[in-house]
Amino acid sequence: MRKLDQAGQQDLTSCTVDAHPPKRILIGKVGLDGHDRGAKFLIRALRDAGYEVIYTGIRRTPEQIVQTAIDEDVDVIGLSLLSGAHNQLFARVAELLKEEGVEDVVLLAGGTIPEKDVPYLEALGFRHVFTPGAPVSEILSALQQELSSRE
Amino acid sequence: MNELVNKLRQGNRRALARAMSSVGATGHAESSLEVCLRESTGQVPWWGFTGPPGVGKSTLLDALLVHLREHGRRVGVVAVDPTSTRSDGALLGDRVRMMRHAVDDGVFIRSLATHGHHGGLSDATLHCARLLELAGYDPVLIETVGVGQNEVEIRSVADLCVVVLGPGYGDDIQLVKAGLLEIADVVAVNKCDLPEAQRLVNEVRQEFAAAARDIEVVAIEAKSGNGVPELLQRLFELDRARRTETAEASRGRRRTLGEIRRRTEFSCRQALGRAMTGPEVEQWITKLNRGECSLATVISRLAALALAELQQEADDG
Ligand code: B12
Ligand SMILES: Nc1nc2c(ncn2[C@@H]2O[C@H](COP(=O)(O)OP(=O)(O)OP(=O)(O)O)[C@@H](O)[C@H]2O)c(=O)[nH]1
Ligand SMILES: [Mg+2]
Repeated sequence: MRKLDQAGQQDLTSCTVDAHPPKRILIGKVGLDGHDRGAKFLIRALRDAGYEVIYTGIRRTPEQIVQTAIDEDVDVIGLSLLSGAHNQLFARVAELLKEEGVEDVVLLAGGTIPEKDVPYLEALGFRHVFTPGAPVSEILSALQQELSSRE
Repeated sequence: MNELVNKLRQGNRRALARAMSSVGATGHAESSLEVCLRESTGQVPWWGFTGPPGVGKSTLLDALLVHLREHGRRVGVVAVDPTSTRSDGALLGDRVRMMRHAVDDGVFIRSLATHGHHGGLSDATLHCARLLELAGYDPVLIETVGVGQNEVEIRSVADLCVVVLGPGYGDDIQLVKAGLLEIADVVAVNKCDLPEAQRLVNEVRQEFAAAARDIEVVAIEAKSGNGVPELLQRLFELDRARRTETAEASRGRRRTLGEIRRRTEFSCRQALGRAMTGPEVEQWITKLNRGECSLATVISRLAALALAELQQEADDG
């Protein structure tokens, strides 16, 4: 997004601010699952794509995730889970968001999630579910689309 | 507006979080909220934490939060991390160290990115800190990005500056040269569980002795919490001295001066940036290369262009 000019102009032009500040996205890991390679891979890809990323670290409660998302006023919440406990934990996050009256945040899910659980997660409000091997380009363009459809 | 301020004062976290997003970092005409914030804040001292990358600033804040909560304080935190040099994105990683406070009603943490601002702080920092103050958080803690050389802007924003150092940063002496110690009200030498730390404590103490400055150097281990209560006691002492009426008056002045400086610099840079990419530049290059004018002429013309644009903006606003 930012122009990287030659000839030493970068310092000046880099101060020209976009009319739209970067979107903020929270990447969260709930429950006891310690698989964080996917989440860490993702936060770097998101940063490089121009997002401001808040990572919660592993082993968080749904309450911590939701309160953090509210305090940081994020546009997107992405949850990553590889342990198999996604149905329960993601449902709890969705429930808490509803209780708090948070309705305008894009919800994404990812990890080892069997095909048969996808409709359930979608019904909870998760807009996309990504499974192992999902190309970054696909994740980024889906995210972009979600965000621009909400402008 | 009044409604928003009422909500903030009643401790509505969502309202606070939303208000933080509304800062006019673009240099546009300021909102009535910004005006109101300037008027109604200034009583609460802000504590700044700065030091090299990875020295343990966030871990220290996490430990301090525990003790401040025990003292019954409601604490606000603004934590700044760098915007990537390759994209407009950022990894806001300070909060990871403070997650145990995420669901504490008496703690509000906000992560910010620098957004191409090179002073170690973000333009939104002041805005967020003021909002926290308005919402009744006291004290407000500000963590800067890991500083390298002359990024000592925190001094103009914070009332109390904690410089955090640690062993294993070979360039500590360079930090001393670059003025990091000059801005310190207290120095916390972190990671004192590591062997080289005591040497660093001694070195920094000698540095202050040589400069005849009475600055306390506290040895801490942020991770285990050792030494943190002692550091906090010192901070409380310094904080008390900053709650007098004269301190309050000079605080208001200093914050506003800092704000004027940052915003002015920012707007000038932007306007200049546009002037530099305007159509006239090519002509100036040609003329300069042919020896038809002096560099001073070009500088004054471009500056005049930028100035005219700023004036136009102000008239429109
Ligand atoms: C590496 C690995 C480990 C490493 C983890 C290292 C680490 N720090 O992450 C180690 C060896 C420690 C480990 C341990 C265990 N593992 Co393991 N592990 C794996 C393995 C082989 C690969 C996971 C990985 O890192 N993939 C690479 C990343 C980049 O991919 P990813 O996380 O899937 O992310 C991609 C997508 O899913 C998506 N995505 C993921 N999250 C999100 C979030 C959002 C918002 C979005 C948009 C996209 C998205 O985007 C990414 C890019 O495509 C998987 C098998 C597999 N093929 O998935 C098993 C697997 C996950 N592990 C498994 C198990 C059982 C365990 C253990 C319990 C084993 C044991 N008995 O000790 C422990 C538990 C550890 C713990 N504390 O939780 C099982 C889980 C079974 C289940 N779901 O029912 C799996 C599926 C293996 C299997 N087939 O049995 N494991
Ligand atoms: N050995 C030791 N390590 C510590 C201590 N305190 C913090 N650390 C570690 O230092 C690393 C950096 O800690 P942070 O708190 O993130 O440091 P920071 O100064 O906030 O880093 P930036 O914000 O990125 O500049 C982490 O791995 C911490 O666990 C300590 O007292 N001793
Ligand atoms: Mg930090």
